[in-house]
Amino acid sequence: MQSLYVDADSWMHRASPRLKLGALAVLGVALFATTDLRILAATLLAGGVLYLNVGMTWREALRRLQPVLLTIAFVTLFSLLFTPWHEAAVTVFRLVTLTLFAATLTATTTIAAFVDEITWAATPLERIGLVKAADIGLTVGLVVRFVPEIVGRYAAIREAHEARGLKIRLRTVLVPLVILTLRDADNIAAAIDARGIRRH
Amino acid sequence: MSTRDLVLSALFAAIIVALGLLPPISLGVIPVPITAQSLGVMMAGVVLGGRRGAVAALIVVLLVAIGLPVLSGGRGGLAVFAAPTAGFLVGWIFAALVTGYMSERLVKPEQSNIAQGVGFFIAAVTGGVVVLYAFGIAYLAIAANIGVSKAFFGSLAFVPGDLIKAVVAALVGRAVMAGYPLLPQRS
Repeated sequence: MQSLYVDADSWMHRASPRLKLGALAVLGVALFATTDLRILAATLLAGGVLYLNVGMTWREALRRLQPVLLTIAFVTLFSLLFTPWHEAAVTVFRLVTLTLFAATLTATTTIAAFVDEITWAATPLERIGLVKAADIGLTVGLVVRFVPEIVGRYAAIREAHEARGLKIRLRTVLVPLVILTLRDADNIAAAIDARGIRRH
Repeated sequence: MSTRDLVLSALFAAIIVALGLLPPISLGVIPVPITAQSLGVMMAGVVLGGRRGAVAALIVVLLVAIGLPVLSGGRGGLAVFAAPTAGFLVGWIFAALVTGYMSERLVKPEQSNIAQGVGFFIAAVTGGVVVLYAFGIAYLAIAANIGVSKAFFGSLAFVPGDLIKAVVAALVGRAVMAGYPLLPQRS
């Protein structure tokens, strides 16, 4: 699985992930606190400049945001039917700005850095016994490792259907997929414990 | 959480991610192909129960946040949370929790097939439709600034598809309970 990180060297890449995440959170709150179109337009412009300079081609940059921007466009059209244009404009500016900054952060922060930040944020929860912070990295690794396996298993089940001349139906595909996948859990858990990965 | 529970949740998260990579499957009843990821969330609840199901959904949401393109159509990254529909994503965690909790309550191994199916269906609709839409609609109303009633009616179009997914989740839940039971019991 290819992450959305863009391997380049901009000052956004060099900024500390914790600082970037904090800034994004502050921005998110601030954007919803103002309705001044000039301020919103200026922030939108800043976000656009920032996002287009993280080292992607413009084509790739736009392709990534397409689904989110389409959703925003759809909701804006919908809200234009019922609310005055000024209010609709404020909403679309806010959402697009937030999207641009968020996408910039995703493009300039590695998965490892994110996992480190989440682990750090989870440490207080560990102290009250809710989670083991180190489990987060382990889980992310597990999922990334097993997705291709499950896709391969799905293809095998599909072929088995075709070989028997059966119609491919959600239920008859999903049941063996779920059972075959979850049956591995005991072995994987035993392997993790045998290596002492979760001791502490 | 025991290592086994953690692994079960992670594997189910991987199933939910894989469902987004698969080509959409037509259901037969309605001609529109559906993306199966929200079905995966309901299945996590009916198969694993509330706690482990919710952790599975939480893992997927976490993977989105850290920038892996794990949602259908290769979507991912923090930008997804900036969309006005983000409530339908974060709501997955609570949808799986409620679906699982209700499944643990309503479904027993000794019940008849029909009773199990109905129990799972009620659980999947309560979690995967009622709870999920409550989160989705509430956030949509705030983020898009369109008010609750408009957000509600705008979302109604997706309910029939989700009801069919609840039926599929109930059938899968019943078959997995017969073949490889994992659902914790709660009286």
